[in-house]
Amino acid sequence: MREILRDRRTLMAIGLAALATPIVLFVISQISVRTASKTYTVGYSGTLPTGLDVLFNATALKLERVDDPAEAAKHQVDLGLVFTPSGVEEYYDPTRQSAQLADVRFQTLLSRYDAAKIAASLQEKGVDPSVLNPLPVTVHPLSSPTQAVGNSFLSFFLPYILITMSLTGGLSAALDTSAGERERKTLESLLLTPAPRSHVLVGKILAVSAISLVAALAAIASMLIALTQLQFGGNAGDAFHVQLSPLAATVMVWLAVLLAASFSSVTIALGTLARNFRQGQAYATPLYFITIFPASIVLFIPDFNPNLAYYLIPILNAVLVLRDAITHNSVAWQALAVTSVSLILTGALCFYAALKLFSREALLVRS
Amino acid sequence: MTQSAVKVDRLEKTLGSNKVLRGISFEACTGEIFGLLGPNGAGKTTTLRVICTLLAPDAGSVEVLGFDTRVSPQEVRRRVGVVTAEIGIYPRLSARENIAYFAELSGVLDGEVDRKVDAVIDRLDMGSFAKQRAESLSSGQKQKVAIARAIVHDPAVLMFDEPTSNLDVLASRDIREFMVESKDRGKCVIFSTHVLHDAERLCDRVTIIHEGRVVTSGTTADVRGSFHDLEDSFLSLVEAAG
Repeated sequence: MREILRDRRTLMAIGLAALATPIVLFVISQISVRTASKTYTVGYSGTLPTGLDVLFNATALKLERVDDPAEAAKHQVDLGLVFTPSGVEEYYDPTRQSAQLADVRFQTLLSRYDAAKIAASLQEKGVDPSVLNPLPVTVHPLSSPTQAVGNSFLSFFLPYILITMSLTGGLSAALDTSAGERERKTLESLLLTPAPRSHVLVGKILAVSAISLVAALAAIASMLIALTQLQFGGNAGDAFHVQLSPLAATVMVWLAVLLAASFSSVTIALGTLARNFRQGQAYATPLYFITIFPASIVLFIPDFNPNLAYYLIPILNAVLVLRDAITHNSVAWQALAVTSVSLILTGALCFYAALKLFSREALLVRS
Repeated sequence: MTQSAVKVDRLEKTLGSNKVLRGISFEACTGEIFGLLGPNGAGKTTTLRVICTLLAPDAGSVEVLGFDTRVSPQEVRRRVGVVTAEIGIYPRLSARENIAYFAELSGVLDGEVDRKVDAVIDRLDMGSFAKQRAESLSSGQKQKVAIARAIVHDPAVLMFDEPTSNLDVLASRDIREFMVESKDRGKCVIFSTHVLHDAERLCDRVTIIHEGRVVTSGTTADVRGSFHDLEDSFLSLVEAAG
């Protein structure tokens, strides 16, 4: 363990785990705040209807008179509008994100303007404007909508961080203690000691698991601290802080323990197959893709609600359990039990494979 | 009074498609330096690896102080210390930490580790660099660390596989002196080498192997016979064998 902890690569992996997440969150927070509070430019021609300019200003849309709104919408402004006696011609480039956001704001603004105009017109004619809304709805959200937005953000971001850090945090240590032993020719001396090979392997797995866990927990802790400090959304009422419930945090730590143990066995087994550290890295590279894929499912299919059998699939099950704990602030205990058994079995199988590799004579002959 | 420490009987071993050992037999005793001689590729290292249980024999048997390597590999490893030419030590640990780590792995009791480590550091005169990280040590100093970790659990059998091949003259002399000192302490020292000059000076008895077979065995004087030195005798025997 002491040898591993003096390895610069391992220390860098832990440091990176602790620093990377807050930096990524800070960038996301800044972009989120900037996007929400940014003023977009609307180029227009023709006569602006009375009172509409006030709404434009209130919606952070800056009006700018231009000769050709269609041409200006290509680069010069975010949205081009031509006001004619019969209506408004709108020009925007959907490939530009600023144009998309300006369009959304304009559509919202326009619907409010239309509603206000219609209501005023009806009142002038002595008709109650409420006839336009025959079935009024009063919304009672069962949880905070702001918190829901935050949870949605965390539910794809956290599993990704947890899995990535559990894998990469201990990877260097795993390869150092397996392929590295062969490379620096300490393996033979180690196997010459009376300690059974299974004990030696358990020692290695425990050491690497501890490093993985420290890296994952460092990433989680730094992320939670960062989340208390950072603000997402706009500047005013719609701004929010993202919070992780104690239950979700507990589930995450438990999953981190299971993932760290499983990943340690896998990476040590791969490292044992390798002749040197570099070859070990080459063997481990596909693991990145295999592990990141399940986290991506939550990102691309946010409403993915699988049956219990899906919780048997390692890594995907951890992602799903964590997503549920974050989104609903509750744990489906059956799903957690299946997930735990699945990850423990995976770890045990990987340990068995690593032990088999570790006990082969070819291990020495190759070196 | 010497007694049999290592008994190798009709040992055979194949690695991949290469039959490395073809019925090797010899016996090494306590209180002697036993030379295992032969050209490169003769099977010396494989023989030592079977003795210390890193490899299992395909046929034949090996006993170390009465323990069969197949039946009681851990008991054998408790009684054997091995020093090889490839000095693999943990570079980020100090010399002392390297030795202590192997003492713990070798089953030295927790309360005894410090005392035993200090004892081998004194014995090998390593005090001046014991606290330095291994990566900063010279080859000779590293080899001393390798020896210290091999003997920290006080094994009755010591095996040296080409221990001086990467060392300078002074460091090589230290190793030779250590082997003689170990013999005087009643240890069974097995010295595998192709440097016949060293073998002639140090070994009480030798076995010469070639292409996995024993060419001859006996006291160093007997094997040298009427030849000028052991090297001439060795060359004559190896050429005759094949």
